[in-house]
Amino acid sequence: MTDATRTRQQARAVMEERRVRHTMALRKVAKRRAAATILLAAFALAACDPRPSSSPVGSSEGTSPQEAEVRATPRYDDGLVRFDRVPGEKGYWGQASASSLVETGADVPMNDIGLLDDLADAPRVAPFRPWALALYEHRQSNGLADDPTQFCLPPAGPRHLHAPGGFRIIQDRNFDRVYVMFGGGNRNWRVIFLDGRAPPDPEEVVGTYYGYSSGRWDGDTLVVESSGFNARFWFSNGGLPHTEALHLTERFSRPDHHTLGYEVTIDDPYTYTRPWSAEWTVSWVEGGVIPEQFCEDDR
Amino acid sequence: MARANVWVVLAGGGMLSAAALAQEGYPLDGTWRGSFGPDATDRTTVVIVMKWDGERISGMINPGPRSIDFSHAELDPGTWTVRIEAQPAEADGIAIEGTLREIGSYNRFIDGVWRQGGTESSFRLTRE
Repeated sequence: MTDATRTRQQARAVMEERRVRHTMALRKVAKRRAAATILLAAFALAACDPRPSSSPVGSSEGTSPQEAEVRATPRYDDGLVRFDRVPGEKGYWGQASASSLVETGADVPMNDIGLLDDLADAPRVAPFRPWALALYEHRQSNGLADDPTQFCLPPAGPRHLHAPGGFRIIQDRNFDRVYVMFGGGNRNWRVIFLDGRAPPDPEEVVGTYYGYSSGRWDGDTLVVESSGFNARFWFSNGGLPHTEALHLTERFSRPDHHTLGYEVTIDDPYTYTRPWSAEWTVSWVEGGVIPEQFCEDDR
Repeated sequence: MARANVWVVLAGGGMLSAAALAQEGYPLDGTWRGSFGPDATDRTTVVIVMKWDGERISGMINPGPRSIDFSHAELDPGTWTVRIEAQPAEADGIAIEGTLREIGSYNRFIDGVWRQGGTESSFRLTRE
């Protein structure tokens, strides 16, 4: 057996192991969600009451069943969009419509951990510089075996929105901050400052996993600028590279109760030949709570 | 000589705090430590620091008061071949050519040939 054959077989074995682990993690989450749904259904039956219930903020009382399924965007009393639960509700953001970052408009088939169906599609994923494409292809060809999350490092950058445990977006209006808390990784969290503070000097800042994020409202869209990242993590499933020069512009929206719109523009001139964007939606998991999950569970 | 090596190691350690931020990004970024020499017993300790600025690779050999800046450095991502040239103030020029290996590893390494003054040595540098 040649070294190349042995390497390919090892890569396949690593890929298979990762797929199994990821599937098991997803199944665990699904089981917990199913249990939560059964509990809710039982509770609803037990508490069956013919009178109409009071509606949460933004709900569409009086609409047809079909219309009721597409509930309106929840809002605070002053009209600001709520990205989290309304009082009395349970739920969190769960499944994303894409498993990895891919430049908007490119149709690149891949699996649920960002492994390309066809390695030849790699150049279409993003406008890579040559070294970045070579590194991305290397990571893909060895089945993402070097993924830092396997060593319990955080899924930072946009990748935290792909964490298998789901996430919540908590708006702390007293302190003008937004917290993104998520179940995957090690129940990490990220803070977005909305109080207008200036970002740190890029020449002085010591890069961190989650960097520094400041946000502002553009109508109903929360626009977040982030920089100050280190380069010790993969910022996307699939192993897209980045450097400390990474700058993200994210746009969060909630077009309806059950949908989170997410767009991100990646600007890292050390890694990519031009800024590029990716987008996906995330579905609201009705009635659930983020399952507790620690990295150690999947190792 | 031993004192000089200690100084080199300390200076290299000082650079490490900044360089250690880049492990998953540009594969050459950071501090590399190792040795070169004609055989397994006759080795010279060396520290190299490299930094990618989006256009070029800058760096130095043995950071400290007697550091030697790169005059040229390049990485061929097709073969992961690294070429470095440097000109010491009062010595023959240095030409290093090696291959970056285990690029997915935190402790990736470069090995190859170190040429200076008509002498050809092997070298191996490991990323810290």
